[in-house]
Amino acid sequence: MSDSLLEVSALTIRGEGVTIAPVDFSLARGGRLTLLGETGSGKSLIAQAIMGTLPKGLSARGELTIEGDGFAAAEGAARRALWGRRLALLPQEPWHALDPTMRAGAQVAESHRYLRGLGRRRAREAALHDLAGLGLAGAEARLPGELSGGMAQRVAFAAASAGGAPIVIADEPTKGLDAPRRDAVVKLLAGTPERGGALLTITHDIEVARRLGGEVIVLRQGRVVERGPAEQLLSAPRSDYTRQLLDAEPARWPAPPPPPATAEEPVVEARGLAKWRGGRELFCDLDLSLRPGEIVGVVGPSGCGKSTLGDLLLGLAERDCGEIWRAPGQRLAFQKLYQDPPAAFSPHWTLARLLEDLVRRHRLDRDAIAPLMARLGLDPALLARRPGEISGGELQRFAILRVLLMEPRFLFADEPTSRLDPITQRDTLALLVELARERHCAVMLVSHDPALIERVCDQRLVLGGEEAERVPEDLAALAV
Amino acid sequence: MSATTLFTAGRAGRRRLATRQRLGLGLLGLLLAIAWLTPWLHDADPARQQLVRILELPSLVAPLGTDHLGRDLLARTAAALRLSLGMALLSVISAAVPGILLGVIAGWRGGWVDRVLGSLADACLALPGLLLVLLLVAIAPGNFWALYVGIALVLWIEYFRVVRARTRVLVASPQLQASRLLGFGPGYLFRRHLWPELAPQVLTLAAFGAASAILAMAALGFVSVGLRPPTAELGLMMTELLPYYHEAPWAMAQPILALCLLVLSLNLLAGKDPR
Amino acid sequence: MDAISSRRFPALAGGLGRVLLPRLFQAGLVAWLVGTLTFVLTRTLPGDMAYRIAAGRYGHDMVNSAAAEAVRAELALDQPALLAYLHWLGDLLRLDLGNSLVSGEPVIHELSHQLGHSLGLAMVAVLLSLLLGPPLGLAAGLRPGGWWDRVSEGLASLLRALPPFALGLLLILLFSVSLGWLPAAGHGRTAHFVLPALTLALALAAVSSRVARNAMVEVSGSAYYAFSRTKGLGERLSFLRHGLRNAAVPIVAYLGVQFVYLIEGVVVVETLFAWPGIGHALVHAIVARDVPMIQGTALVMGLMFVALNTGVDLLCHGLDPRRRQS
Repeated sequence: MSDSLLEVSALTIRGEGVTIAPVDFSLARGGRLTLLGETGSGKSLIAQAIMGTLPKGLSARGELTIEGDGFAAAEGAARRALWGRRLALLPQEPWHALDPTMRAGAQVAESHRYLRGLGRRRAREAALHDLAGLGLAGAEARLPGELSGGMAQRVAFAAASAGGAPIVIADEPTKGLDAPRRDAVVKLLAGTPERGGALLTITHDIEVARRLGGEVIVLRQGRVVERGPAEQLLSAPRSDYTRQLLDAEPARWPAPPPPPATAEEPVVEARGLAKWRGGRELFCDLDLSLRPGEIVGVVGPSGCGKSTLGDLLLGLAERDCGEIWRAPGQRLAFQKLYQDPPAAFSPHWTLARLLEDLVRRHRLDRDAIAPLMARLGLDPALLARRPGEISGGELQRFAILRVLLMEPRFLFADEPTSRLDPITQRDTLALLVELARERHCAVMLVSHDPALIERVCDQRLVLGGEEAERVPEDLAALAV
Repeated sequence: MSATTLFTAGRAGRRRLATRQRLGLGLLGLLLAIAWLTPWLHDADPARQQLVRILELPSLVAPLGTDHLGRDLLARTAAALRLSLGMALLSVISAAVPGILLGVIAGWRGGWVDRVLGSLADACLALPGLLLVLLLVAIAPGNFWALYVGIALVLWIEYFRVVRARTRVLVASPQLQASRLLGFGPGYLFRRHLWPELAPQVLTLAAFGAASAILAMAALGFVSVGLRPPTAELGLMMTELLPYYHEAPWAMAQPILALCLLVLSLNLLAGKDPR
Repeated sequence: MDAISSRRFPALAGGLGRVLLPRLFQAGLVAWLVGTLTFVLTRTLPGDMAYRIAAGRYGHDMVNSAAAEAVRAELALDQPALLAYLHWLGDLLRLDLGNSLVSGEPVIHELSHQLGHSLGLAMVAVLLSLLLGPPLGLAAGLRPGGWWDRVSEGLASLLRALPPFALGLLLILLFSVSLGWLPAAGHGRTAHFVLPALTLALALAAVSSRVARNAMVEVSGSAYYAFSRTKGLGERLSFLRHGLRNAAVPIVAYLGVQFVYLIEGVVVVETLFAWPGIGHALVHAIVARDVPMIQGTALVMGLMFVALNTGVDLLCHGLDPRRRQS
């Protein structure tokens, strides 16, 4: 048998407005390959084509060689027999990929039982051993609904790899995880090539590609832009697109301009603020104040109360303790940007209609809209569309437009760019900061990415410190 | 990928009728036309008995034949359709209006208002619908209004529950919060956010509700505890014509067919499979 | 597994109360509603209530004004409405349902016969519908848009448009009158079961097959179903281990809604097939204005509805471990 575990030659995918140009690659034992790209680059389709799970309407061509056996990419069904035994797929959203009515232990045990043919009891023991090895001892009797995102990812990993498949394909394994949990998953994945398997990772996260190492292929709209060893490609990219992509990483953003020296009165101030949720203290004795044009960043792990803090300042949530003082005057000058742009608009009306409603309600100046739209890079033709019919980045800029028309003094931006692609994210945030400074609007920006906050904000607030410290222990448990 | 999912979500949000709903609408239109145009085009009293002309085959004088008492069947079927449709419309409107109103209030306000209204709905649902209607009908036998009150009392709950659940989700949603922060009042929030979400569901409920109102009235007529003869009512007509199945199968078939088409048209109009 | 089941036990005990208490409350509500409505009925009856009840109790020949007076005093018919109402509910609470005005027999006695017949019919119908509907629906749901999905959708639409009495009528005309295979009405032999049970079962299966179909479509489109396949379990094991249970939860939960149709169907179908059950008796009692029987039959049907729904709740509780969590 050759040393190559997976060989892909001249793989193309076609159908329904999608074309993936021919891709070739091969993965040897211990090899690791990362497909890196933004939304719409077709990176997930390549994984689906290898597995043979392309959605209806798409067809693949080309040749695959898996552990020395040749397969035609077009005949996806032929590879079903390999699932779990030779090809393992780590699903995108582990929380949804686990059966909600079956306990974690049983979901891992069934792989041992039916794929490796172990008896009921030995399968169960093997599952308990796997889970304990992943730092999940005692979690076997839990239902998926009782697991955290990171735990669900590890259970899914155990279930997918219990069959002993040498080739592991991980499709966006870090989606929706914060930085420490992301690093834990990367460490988990890196174990496969260390044990002599091969790892194919699909991600949009450059940091994941960097930490995994091996070979990287950068994809854009179905074409290979650049490929090469991770260290080389990610430090000295040859193509413009890769350079842009790398520059869009928060750590590489230009250093922020010095904060404007202002002696103005704060817009909003809080003293001794405290909030509990579900019997747990989110934060207590918190002091902060925001002056006009000032940008304050809030970081912390998921569930640490970042969003709640902003809602308290806006008056959308009730505080348990402490004082909040807001600049007197308009209530309407306190506005919010949302994480998921489509969720912040009624999907049934055109943007022109929604904008017109706002103008009428507050007798705004219609002439102010066109220049502002031009500033935000919004094409007037988009006005005829509904919120669901434009891209997330465009819609978020519409949300900024809508908010700016209200002449805000304080803006709470709750992870406004976390669902956007990196380049769009950088451009959107740059615009937001620029406009906020210009209009003397204080911004509280929430993000789970400390590097981003550091590059954008004048002040930084870290919530849930102890929580953050607990994660590295998890990591230690993962050193299998 | 997120761009495509956004797009489909937007398309689904638009109000357009599916093919089966259009089919149902067409069929319903046809039945409405038969029900209300017949008295204009065909001059016959649905209650006039002509004992010399019993169980006649369809002819030019009586296009759908006559029944066992010599009454004109076209006139009777049309009258029965008018009665059924009238009852359906009346009970749907009087169930939908309070149901939607209370549902929005309960979902919006939450707290004790929600609990009180919720228990009220649960109390109305404690008995299966037809049993409640039967008991009300027992108090006032043969009375159209007792029947109507009973049916409306059963139907409003469905609107209430659906509207309350949807409203509760929407009130907590970012889209509503965003519009509130932008200074819009409750009227606007209802018009732009709530109603477009509720309308398709209310249409579905209204069509199903109309069908159940029609079925309930016919069922009670069929077991002779609903409206009294000589009213032309579909269920009652079935019972009356049942003994003459052998001599006049076409007569027997008419109320059954009319009822089935009516219910079928409403079920199609409702669009979705049950819930 | 032992560790899991011992963990599960206290959770079950704790969760059961939350399932049973609301149903108990509902049963009380049913009794109150039926009692109140029938009380209103006694007050709106034409003629002298006391005479009618006395006649029911002692026979028409034996009734005289003295007996009527005794009844009047006993039932508090001469008392103000509020007092009489409390008296009426008190009797209901002691399960004293009185005697039928028509036959003179104690209502309880009549009900005990009829209940058996109705329950038998309902059980057979539900079992038959479960054998027909969900399997056909699951088959359609495994290949949505396929020929079987479309055929079964058409059949279900047609069946749902046919109310039970019209469906029963057509079945009688086909199997009894035209073909002569089965008896049209009556009770006693197994053959008598076929048509009424089939009528109810077809109406129930039409709906449950679509519920099952939609549940299966949802499950087979879910990420966990896809994952169970890609982790190598194969079609059959994925369906058995992850498809069935998850699809069964909505099917069983929807049974609760279907019992409304069942109770309504029982009233109509029993009347059509002259089946000596509770529904038939209720219709008779309403026609004859036999108040104690109306109260008794409505009460029993309402309680049967509550009992069936409790069964569904317990089944859901057993099927879906998420419901057992606090």
